[in-house]
Amino acid sequence: MTKSGLPISRRTVLRGAGAALGLPWLEAMAPRPALAASTEARLPVRMAVLYMPNGVHPEMWTPQGEGRDFPLSPTLEPLGDLKNELLVLTNLWNQGSKGGEGHYVKIAGFLTCTTVTKTMGVDIHCNGISMDQVAAQGVGKQTPLPSLELAIAPVSTGVDKNVGYTRVYGGHIAWNGPTPLAREINPRLVFERLFRSSRPQADSAKQDKLLLDRVLEDARQLRKRLGASDRRRVDEYLSVVRSLEQRMERAGRPEQASWKPRQPIDPETQPPGIPTGHTEHVRLMLDMIALAFRTDTTRIATFMFGNEVSNQNFSFLEGVKGGHHNISHHERKEDMMRQYQLINRWHIEQYAYLLGKLRQSQEGDGSVLDNSMVLFGAGIRDGNRHDPHNLPILLAGRGGGRLAAGQHLAYSPDTPLANLYVSMLEAFGTPVDRFADSTGRLPGVLG
Amino acid sequence: MNRRDSSRSLVVLALLAFEPRALAAAEDSFTFYHARALVKTYCLECHQGKSAPAKLDLARFSTEATIAGQPKIWNRVMARVRDGEMPPQGKPAPAAKERQSFASWIDRTLRSAACADGISPGPAPLRRLNRSQYAATIRDLLNIHFNAGHALPADGAGGEGFDNAAETLFLSPLHAEKYLDAARQALDYGAKDPRSRARFLVGEPDATTEPDQAARKVLEAFLPRAFRRPAKPEEVERYLGLFRSAQARAETFDGSILFALQAVLVSPNFLFRVEEPNLEAGPRRLGGYELATRLSYFLWGSMPDQPLVDLAAQDKLGQPEILSEQIVRMLKDPRALEFAEQFVEQWLNTRELGRDIKPDPKLFPEYYDAEVQSAIRYEPILFFQEILAQNHSLLNLLDSKFTILTNKLGRHYGLQLIGLRQQPARADLPEGSHRGGLLGMTAVLAVSSYPHRTSPVLRGKWVLEAILGTPPPPPPPNVPELNEEHAAAPKTLRDRLLEHRRNPVCASCHNRIDPIGFGLQNFDVLGRWRTEDARQPIDSKGELPDGTMFEGPEQLKAVLLARKGLFIRNLTTKMLGYALGRGLTMEDHCTVDRIVDQLDMGDYRAHTLIREMVLSVPFRYLAGTSAGLPVEKREAPR
Repeated sequence: MTKSGLPISRRTVLRGAGAALGLPWLEAMAPRPALAASTEARLPVRMAVLYMPNGVHPEMWTPQGEGRDFPLSPTLEPLGDLKNELLVLTNLWNQGSKGGEGHYVKIAGFLTCTTVTKTMGVDIHCNGISMDQVAAQGVGKQTPLPSLELAIAPVSTGVDKNVGYTRVYGGHIAWNGPTPLAREINPRLVFERLFRSSRPQADSAKQDKLLLDRVLEDARQLRKRLGASDRRRVDEYLSVVRSLEQRMERAGRPEQASWKPRQPIDPETQPPGIPTGHTEHVRLMLDMIALAFRTDTTRIATFMFGNEVSNQNFSFLEGVKGGHHNISHHERKEDMMRQYQLINRWHIEQYAYLLGKLRQSQEGDGSVLDNSMVLFGAGIRDGNRHDPHNLPILLAGRGGGRLAAGQHLAYSPDTPLANLYVSMLEAFGTPVDRFADSTGRLPGVLG
Repeated sequence: MNRRDSSRSLVVLALLAFEPRALAAAEDSFTFYHARALVKTYCLECHQGKSAPAKLDLARFSTEATIAGQPKIWNRVMARVRDGEMPPQGKPAPAAKERQSFASWIDRTLRSAACADGISPGPAPLRRLNRSQYAATIRDLLNIHFNAGHALPADGAGGEGFDNAAETLFLSPLHAEKYLDAARQALDYGAKDPRSRARFLVGEPDATTEPDQAARKVLEAFLPRAFRRPAKPEEVERYLGLFRSAQARAETFDGSILFALQAVLVSPNFLFRVEEPNLEAGPRRLGGYELATRLSYFLWGSMPDQPLVDLAAQDKLGQPEILSEQIVRMLKDPRALEFAEQFVEQWLNTRELGRDIKPDPKLFPEYYDAEVQSAIRYEPILFFQEILAQNHSLLNLLDSKFTILTNKLGRHYGLQLIGLRQQPARADLPEGSHRGGLLGMTAVLAVSSYPHRTSPVLRGKWVLEAILGTPPPPPPPNVPELNEEHAAAPKTLRDRLLEHRRNPVCASCHNRIDPIGFGLQNFDVLGRWRTEDARQPIDSKGELPDGTMFEGPEQLKAVLLARKGLFIRNLTTKMLGYALGRGLTMEDHCTVDRIVDQLDMGDYRAHTLIREMVLSVPFRYLAGTSAGLPVEKREAPR
């Protein structure tokens, strides 16, 4: 597959045929050689990942029935009017996160499908690059921000001496090297960042570049003096400063960037800082993803509802009393499982909220959702058992017509989750031959 | 595991947790021959020969010396056996008691081998300023009262559990962008404030001073402070280049100099604490500026001040008596609050209060009064700072006759004290206050509770981890974590926990977790005293596995004071990890041993702890290329 991605499917075209036949992005239907030339004219595909800690109530998650004709399960009910945009994927597992312990290994390896190194910090290593960052390496240069990493809670305090892991692992799903990508939790700061990046100022970018050249020189001098292990840190510094410098360079030459904002960001829509309510906070962060996608400030976003082992108090939900992690250890007690399911369902409501927002944003003859793929998932299935078999995984949006949304696909037990990532990367236009323990594409996902 | 076995293993676990001396006696009976027999019985089936899994051929280790000579391998063996990861599931495995004895034997063997040759400094990795250090440093550098680090991402923790550990202070592209913005904001803010301007814009062009000269003056003063060492002339020259380039595009003087200073604040020489690498084989003493920097980031979480820099320049700071004087001065300085806050909140995990752990607002609206919340949060921090500043005994942390109160917190505790104000201040506790020490503080009691109710399990676990430094191992695989929630049967929490402990696998740990927590049941989620819960009288009796009985927090505190050795060792270990900004190595535990000895002899005074830490080999020396070479005896500080 070429980097320019798959031609959009016939179905998508038919769906939108009424109004939009003349639009330039329909060139995507052309044979591949022509396609490469017209990349910029096509509407971009976006990818978001929403990570939920602590697993799901196993019996309330999986829908009865397969294929296109399936009733939504009780937990998935909030997705009612989005069912045709949805893929429910059953029996995927993450082999890399099998061992280790109950949580940290599961979350840190969720998008890498690798086994992270057990450590309190000294040799922190995820042993792979996360799927979203593979995508960002492919198309990140086409937007002001290569990717957006968001969360609700700051990374947890301390190390977990009981199990021997630094809690850094429990707070990150996006990795583009041995160490993770830092994430933001304050909606106002995210907004300011989106706003600024979307309005590159050639002048200040040029000066910033001068400044960064200066400090890069400092780093190179420093590097020469240091021993091998410290050089690794300085190399990290060099690489992050260079990446910023390259962004400035691109920003300094807007005419050369393929990116053209479809809608400018309105400074009046700046959100407040972190609100007190959990739901409000989550929605503001999801708003930022929707905003970034709508304005094409980035095409890739990851979001964590909570750090792994989060004990977020969900008593604000009617009928729930207590913290998330505690309730997830339900011991199969009826009342606990009921509360657990309500918490799961709340997460699905937020997912539906984001999907709804993306669907409201018109783009071409469809919506941003039509050009997105939004993954929702957890690193374990049943919180009471900590197992990475049959993970709760949803994928929504049509990925620019490349995803065969509207199905419940049940695979044979222990089909690699990595196969889904192979398919997603292909649909995204950044195909890979293999991803971690993948054995091929996930059948039925691509339209 | 049969009943008999498990009950015996309980006794040993109990000893492990509470009686180091008895433990030593019990363990002396476990020797190399026992270890070898265990390895033969449970490990060699797989771990033998060239094709052994993980390339780990355990048959090679035929003597105690060969084991002591491979600490890396054997530390791993120890951890995997101790945590129940090896032997793998489904294979015959030693009983919990044997596991523990085996692990302790390896630990003892490796440690005594490591300490026998004297103390080596251990690694000194390059440390990035973390978020709070960044903010404090900018504050002192520019003399501004503005949190320049507010937009930086939070740092995760490594090593002994602190976010100043070099290993987890990674950088991602977001950092680069944030540093650039933060520096610009802070400098703009500072340039507008006359007091701050005077601190860092020490030159301005006028009738007799060319802009270039003024800029040079500013940079010559600023660079050494920002880089925490004298600046080389060529460094000044290079940053002057940035100033000139800004002048060339017709920027104002302010605009141009702030541009150059912004670059200084994004330079790795500012963002990292750089120590000159030691290319000799053996350890080298830190230079004066390096030591001043380590000291100030330890005790202030910020850059060295002028007196420290002056002593460094005169090469006097390394002298033990001068160091001791400086430590006392620094602990009394308001900047020590930063140390107290960073260390205490991460050591006790109270930083999570208000983050992941929030008392339920419907059940505990009292917590959501801003003044109460702040008083709760700062009580352990200011208490610790007071102990440091006044050189009190560290045992005050276990029990004390004073605490730090505001009028609202005093009322919250139901204390009839006069003279309490809105500002927190030291207050002597009346008889029968149930307060005193960390265990009487709301921050601690709330962070070890669920949002809606207290949990003896969480509080017991908290005490084992934070106070005694003996965290229980993770629950064995496939045993769901204990859930204390109400089931259909109307039983008390104590009954349910007792039932759970009938399972020997659970009992092996919960026999030492739960009783401690019950001792604190008189405190509700917000740490208020209660005598009944849900119309049931509180039963705060506990019995430890070794038969020690107690009732209520006062007696529990006495029990903990009787185990002060574990507490002091744990506190020392944590603080050394914080002081060094990295995880501790095997050799560092030799340093911990020495410091604990000094504390035992010195009445557990706070200054002894800090002084011994600062005078220790890993704090004052850099390892050479042959890491592990000890500091020569004649050079050793004592």
